[in-house]
Formats: sequence, structure tokens, C-alpha cells
Amino acid sequence: MKKKLITVLTTVTMLSAILSACGGNKNEAAPSTSPSPSPSESSSPSPSDTPSSPAAVERFDVSLRHIQVGELQRFRKAILDEVVKKSEAEVPGAKFEMDAIEDSFNRWTKLPAEMAAGNPPKIFDLFGGPAEGQKYARANKLLDLTPILDELGIKDKFTDYSTFVVDGKVYGLPIGAGSEGWFYNSDILKANNIEVPKTLDELEAAFETLKGKGITPIAMGSQAAWVPFMLINTLISRYAGPDIQAGVADGSRKMTEPEVVAAFAKYGEWVKKGYFTKGELGIDYTGQTNEFIAGKAGFLFDGTWRISTFNEDGTGKALHGKVGYFAMPAVSGGKGDQTAVNYNQNNGYGFSSDVNDNEKAAIKAFIKNLYSEEYQARGFKEDGVLPSMKVDPAKLTSDNPIMSEVLASNAAAGTVFPHFDSLVPGPVNGEFEKQIQNLIAGKASPEKAADEIQKVMDSELAALK
Amino acid sequence: MRKVFQKSLPHLLLLVYVVVILFPLVFVLLSSFKTSNDQIVTAPFGLPSKPTLENYSKAWTQAKISRYFFNSAYLSVTAAVSAILLAAATAYAIARMRMARASKIIYQFILLGMLIPGNVLFIAQYILVQKLGILGTHWALYLPYTAGALPFSVLLIVAFMKAIPSEMEEAAIVDGLGVIGSFFRIILPLTLPALVTVFIINLLGNWNEYLLANFFISKDTLRTLPTGMVGFRDAFQTSYPLVFTGIVISVLPILIIYAFLQKTIIEGLTAGSVKG
Amino acid sequence: MNKTLRNPYVYLLFVLPTIGLYFLFFIYPVLQSVFYGLTDWDGLTPAKYIGLGNFEKAFKDDDFWISVKNNMYFILFSVFVQVPLIICFSLLISGVKRFQGFYKTTVFLPSILSTSIIGILWQFMYHPSIGLFNKFLGWFGVEPIYWLADPKWAMLSILITNAWQWMGFYIVLVLAAILAIPKEINEAAEIDGATGFQRAYRITTPLIMPIISVVIMLSIAGAMRVVDIVLVMTKGGPAGATEVMASYMVNKAIKYGQYGYGTALSIMIFAIALLLTALYQIAFARRQERVEY
Repeated sequence: MKKKLITVLTTVTMLSAILSACGGNKNEAAPSTSPSPSPSESSSPSPSDTPSSPAAVERFDVSLRHIQVGELQRFRKAILDEVVKKSEAEVPGAKFEMDAIEDSFNRWTKLPAEMAAGNPPKIFDLFGGPAEGQKYARANKLLDLTPILDELGIKDKFTDYSTFVVDGKVYGLPIGAGSEGWFYNSDILKANNIEVPKTLDELEAAFETLKGKGITPIAMGSQAAWVPFMLINTLISRYAGPDIQAGVADGSRKMTEPEVVAAFAKYGEWVKKGYFTKGELGIDYTGQTNEFIAGKAGFLFDGTWRISTFNEDGTGKALHGKVGYFAMPAVSGGKGDQTAVNYNQNNGYGFSSDVNDNEKAAIKAFIKNLYSEEYQARGFKEDGVLPSMKVDPAKLTSDNPIMSEVLASNAAAGTVFPHFDSLVPGPVNGEFEKQIQNLIAGKASPEKAADEIQKVMDSELAALK
Repeated sequence: MRKVFQKSLPHLLLLVYVVVILFPLVFVLLSSFKTSNDQIVTAPFGLPSKPTLENYSKAWTQAKISRYFFNSAYLSVTAAVSAILLAAATAYAIARMRMARASKIIYQFILLGMLIPGNVLFIAQYILVQKLGILGTHWALYLPYTAGALPFSVLLIVAFMKAIPSEMEEAAIVDGLGVIGSFFRIILPLTLPALVTVFIINLLGNWNEYLLANFFISKDTLRTLPTGMVGFRDAFQTSYPLVFTGIVISVLPILIIYAFLQKTIIEGLTAGSVKG
Repeated sequence: MNKTLRNPYVYLLFVLPTIGLYFLFFIYPVLQSVFYGLTDWDGLTPAKYIGLGNFEKAFKDDDFWISVKNNMYFILFSVFVQVPLIICFSLLISGVKRFQGFYKTTVFLPSILSTSIIGILWQFMYHPSIGLFNKFLGWFGVEPIYWLADPKWAMLSILITNAWQWMGFYIVLVLAAILAIPKEINEAAEIDGATGFQRAYRITTPLIMPIISVVIMLSIAGAMRVVDIVLVMTKGGPAGATEVMASYMVNKAIKYGQYGYGTALSIMIFAIALLLTALYQIAFARRQERVEY
């Protein structure tokens, strides 16, 4: 037995010798393309960052997983590139190795697998909440950022990072904030004599008119369930009140309440009436955006992060100046504040707890550079990302008319509500996604969908006790 | 008249099949020269009005298709070759060497592997690869690809080797050729048809493999063609012509190789299996 | 002489590397799967033994059984649609004298493209507005069908793509068997006055049954492990309509971190495969002569 094992090992080593001859060795002293470490950025507050002896700087890689893939994300990618460049210049030898992966693949597949294997990248895109950030933090996979925040003095600069907090320690930092609401194509509305809807009735009348004209009322791609979940999340809040998400998560409210079922029923009604893109279950998020950009749909329910798409130089430039935004109108018989808007600060960066001093220094530089007033303001201006940090309002300028509409609608809101996925455990979120798709496919009634989700929630709550 | 009909009917039916096979490929090729989604939507099978090569330069520079292709090619080939060498040696020991009891046990032991459907061991292999510290490297694909091909390869080669008359190597051994010599000089050349068959089947399997490649590799530069192309589709789905161009670029080398080697591939595939 | 062929060192040298790799990537993972299958391991916190709890859960897990059913569709489609077509086309190709090489080369062509590229390609064939199918149906005034987005059609769409990819591979195998049949048999039948159809049905088909049996076996094995084409084309959607066992298992383990449950499912899949193999042996293979493949 022992002998066998030894042979196995020898074989493996032997084979490895063969294979390494084929595979390019990445650790060769490759000529670094990054700017040589220079103490140019004098703004850096800590003197330790600037190397005194430029000689014999050991190069090290810092893996960075981001989700800025494709044309739609290029503004965000540009900011990230700048931050990386700056950070590389400040930390001698640091080389950020960027790895771009599509959002939902990273979120639901890659990162969970890497967490289980214990080898996540050093820096990675992370969502907060009990199903993700908090779960990883409890398993000691995430770097406690509290000391770094204290050292950089930016701890109280954030408006809300609560979904990344476990036992008073901070494990992730939201990169921005977003609201979810209705976008509309003003050309299509005008051509069909539709005023911007102010009530739910007007909105539904608009859907009906567009449908009658053979125009898709709402662009929708529900191959990934989180996309229709945005609209359902807001509908549920309208019908059941802005405290429903927190209530369901702590067990004080139930998905089976008639108001929640009413929200599902409204969504199901819209599906039945054919207000959404045909074949939506086969279309993904990008496909949804593309349909709206192509001018084939009147409305789009999406997050404010989508705004920059319609910039003059965005992928949706065809619609530049033709897109408006409004919050979900009040619903009749809805509980609670009908002006409340969705507001999320649940996506940002997390960092591996498995880091050495060099990597920690690189992470610190990365945080210092990325989470700055400058980039918050630029993200706002160029990319339509609402700030996740307290930024001097004077610096938050935007000549983007959609942005002004978002700000106006958010300012008019009495309260804000979060998204279910930042509060409920993973299995509940999974059941949500399944039931939403069943509802769309006509495989589940609103009552059944709500019921099934509550069942999973109940068993999760029971497990906590 | 009837005779003509009888003669041409098979050709007619086969032509339908040929069209079904070639149609998607022609569609992709035509579309890759078009400039916009609209051109494809309005006339999917029309010739491009102003054929452009712009997509090609764009796809080539924006996606690492050549890199994916190289990764896939060298992984598929090295893993297939390794599996054959290991399997042939083992098959020789089982089929030709005089260690009947041990051979029978080993043969049955390896036969067990044929019962395990592919992918079932995915999670456990994932944990294993991670423990070996090779997750995210090409090792994480090379080793499972090689190991995964072993049971089938051993069985097929054993069957083939058993059919070789024993006088051949007896003579060789009497002439002073050692057992290793007899393996390499006598048996291996005689087994060549089976080896080619096994090689092609393993090669196609590795070339196709998506599940492990998807989960065991995360770096873009290490991706293989299957996962790389899916990534390419996701990143550039706004532009159908570009995605089509990517497909053309990725299958073109294979088609060229196939054009030259189709006889070897098809005959090799069947030689070992039918006569074995 | 015998001594040479009994050299234990050479024997070990030839056998151990294979056994080592085989043990590491087959046997050890099987043992690991059994071990984790009995725990609630979530990938993050230490595993806890929960006995057969995962298996009880699996038997009650409707979604898992839907995925099992979808794998069965692959098997049924292979056996009852693909195999007859494979036999027909093999016979046709074997019967023609001109262009035989061309037909063989062309039908085999899809087998050398990789599954994911075929998946991407066929997504466009099924595309609601630019796809071939809807264009074709449109000529007859049929409303567009959302092939991959409609739970009614998605499974069939994938089955067709899968058949497109693999039929040629099997045709080439069967064709080789047909061409290996001694010519005299057919010539004798022809002299006896048998028509082409009779010869194909009465003489050739029975003679190639062993290879057909292999094709069926390979199809079943392929259907049991199918996953890549589903992941590329529909990701298991719409609304779980094309989820297969392997994708369901991987999803449970990786997306939801239920490694214990996921490995328990893998054992269930193994058991189902064994059951099918046994059924196949009873129903089909026993009547055939044993073939070495």
C-alpha cells in the first residue's frame, strides 16, 4: 500500500516534469509592463509606501477578480485600471493580476467554489448579506478590514456597509449604491402619445397601448432569475411595505401575507398579458439591455448602474438623451410608504484573509485609491453610480439628465428598502429565484410561489434556533 | 426510369443530411462577414452586401482565441498521449505477461471504472484537485483527463493485444529481446490500430471537455477553447457578427486539420474497434 | 522465456502508474463521495455526520427527479430516434458507390467541433428572430417559437442539437461494421432474388447488431453524463426545464455550497447508472454475442 502511494507520487512528479516543459512558466522574470515603482504620487499619506531603495524589489502578484466584462462595463473598468495603476506605483513590486469574470458566474459559481477550496483571489468582487459576504466572514475567509479603515481614516466615510458587517467587524466595502426603477424610451412614448406614467394605472395603460402597437412594453431577460427579481422585489415592497424584506428575514413577517401574494399576482398578470419580452426565459441580462437599446421596448426595470449605458459614448448611445427614469408608482391598497425607493449598497470588494504583509500593503493601497472621494465622484459623473461614501455634494455633479431624475425621485422618497438577497439566507434566495421563474413559466401560482419560499424561510429560521 | 430513381434516391436522402450538417456552418461563415446584427436579422442566409474582414481583426485582437486554441490543443494531445502510453503498458502487462492472477484482479479493478459515469466524481475530484494544490493550473485538467481515459483505453488495448499470437514475441524474446524491448518493438507496433483508435477517442473527449475546464480553471490565459469561447460569447453578445467570427476562427484550424487527416481519423477510429 | 515475461519489476513498472492515477482519480474520489455524502458539509464549516439524511432528502427532492427524467429523455431520444436514423444512414452510405468518402467525411464533421462551440452555434439556429427554424416556419405562416426559452420546446431543441453533433460519429462506427461484412453474403442473397431493402433488413442489420448494441451502450453512457451542452445553451433553464442530473448536482454543491448533499446526489446518479446497465444487460445485451469493445 505504502509502496503504491509512493509510486503514485513519483508518477505525479514525473508527469509534472514533463508537463511543465510544455506549459509556459508564468513565474519567469517577465519584463514588467507596469510602470516602475516610483514615488511620484506624493499625495500618499504613509511614508512607508515610498521605497527608499529601488534596488532588488521583489515582484509579487496580487490576484484581483472583477466583473467588469464587456462593452457595457467599460467605464467601471477604466476606473479600476486607474486604481490598479496607482496602487502598483505605490507598492513596490506589486503586480495586480486582473481576472475578469461575468458577474453572476463569479457570484454564484466561481467565488463560492473558491471559498470552499480556500483559494479565493486576494481581491474580489463581493456581495454582502447572509448568503454571501457574511457567510464567508463567519468562516474566516475574509480579511477584517476594520484596522485598515481605521488606519486610512475612512471608517465613517461610508454611508452604509452593514451588509458586510459581522460582529462589529467590516469585511467588505460597497463600491457604490444603486436604486432600481423604471427606465423608459421617450421616443417610443411620444410616438404613441403616452405621457410619462405617474400612477400604476397609467403605467399599465401604457403597457396595453404599446402591446396593441406590437411594441414590447417591458424589456426583460429572465434566464437568470435575479433580473426579474429586481422588479418583483420592488413590487413586493409597494404592496407589503418597505419593511417587508427585513421582516421576512427576521421571521416577523411572512411571504404568505396577502399583500406579498398580491405582488406576485400582479407580476403574473403582466406575464399573462404579454407585457414582457417574448421568450424572456431564454434571454439574459445583456440581452435585455440590448433589446431596450435597440428601441424595441418601451420600458425597462433596472438599476441606476445602467445609466451610463445611455451616455453619448456608451453602448446605448442610440438612445442618448431619449431615456427617462421614474420610481415605481404607488399601488392601490399597498401597505406602508408608497414613495419608498429601493436602495442597495450590497456590491463591492472583499479581500482574502489569507494574505502576507506585501499583499496586505497592496490591498491597503487599493482601498485607499479606490475608495476615495475622487472616484466616487467620477463613478457618479461618468458611470451613474450613486456614491456609497459621504461625498461633498458640491463634487457630485452630473450633466446626465437621467441622473437628475434619479436624484429627484430618490429625494422625494420617504424611506428606502433593500433587496431580499442582501438579507435572506442563500437557500431562501435560491427558492425565490426558482419560484420567480416558475411564475413566469406559468408553473406556479402566486400563492404557491409565496408558500414555497416561506417554507424554505421557515426551515432556515428553525435551523438558526 | 425506375432504375434511375433507385440509384438517385439514396443520394437524395444523403444530400438532405449533408445540407443539415453544413447549413449551420455556412450560416456562421456568411454572418461573420456582415457588419451589423440587422444585416443578419433581415437576411440571415443572404450574402453579405459589403463583405468585411473587420470582424476578423477585431475578434482576433479582442479575444485570446489563439491562446485558447493552443491551450486546448496541447492539453488534449499530451493527456491523450499519456493515457495511451500508460494504458498500453498496463494492457501489455495484463494481456501478455505471465502473471495471470494479479492480471485478473487488476483487470477487474480497472473494469470497475467503466461503471462510473463521467461527471459523477466531479465534486470529489474538485476537492482532490484543490488538496493537491493544482486547482487553477493546467495540471487540474491534465491529470483528470489522463486518468479519466484509462479504464476504457486499457480494456480496448487488452482486447486487441490478446488477439496477437504469442509466437511473435516468443521468437523475439528467444532472440534476446527483453520484455521491455518486446513491448516497444513487437507488440506496440502490432497494436497500432487500437492505439490510434483510443488516441482519437481520447483526443476528441479532451477537446470537448467543458465541465472541469469551466470550474477548475479561472484565469483567462489558461482557458481552453470550450470555456474560452463561451466567455467570448458572453462578452461580445451585443454583436452577432463578432461572435460568429469567433466561431469561425476557432473551428477553422480544426477543419483544415480534418481536411488533411479525415481518412486517418475516420479509419483510425474504426480500425481498432471493429477488428478488436 | 517464461521468466522474461514474469519479471515482477517490469510488471510493476507497467502497471503501477496506471493503477496509481486510477486510484487517485477514480477510487479515492468514490470513497470521498461516500464519506461526504453522509455529512452536511457546506464547504466552509467542518463536516458533521448525518447518516442517510442526504439520501432521504434526495428521494423527496422533486427537482432532482425532474433532472433524472431529463437524462432519460436523452436516452430515449438516442435509442428510439437516433439509432434508427444511424442505421438508415449507415445503410444508405454503404449502398452508394460514388461520393461515399464525401458523405462519410461530412457526417463525421460535427464530432470534431467542440460541444460548447456547437452549443453557441445552435443557439443562433434557434434564435427567435434570426434562427433558421423560425425563418423556415415563418414561410408557412407559423408564429415564432421560442425554442430555448419555452419550457415545452427547450428539451427537444437540445436533443436535436445533441443528435446533430453525435450521429455522424456513430454512423462512421456502424458503417465500418457494414463494410466489414464479406461481400459474398450479400451477393448470394442478390442471386437468390432479394431486393436491396430485403438485404438491408434481413442480412445486414442482423449482422451489425453487435455494433448497434455498442452504439446504444455508448449513447446511454453519453446520456448519463451529458451536461456541457445544457450549460452552454440554456444553463438548465427555462425554469429548470432542461436541468440534467450532473448540472443539478454541480449547482447544489457549488452555487449553494451543499457539498454533502451534492456528493450524495452523485452517489444516487452512480446507482441509477448501475441500474440502467443491469436493465440493459437483461433486455438487450444478453441476447447478443459478447463483443469486445
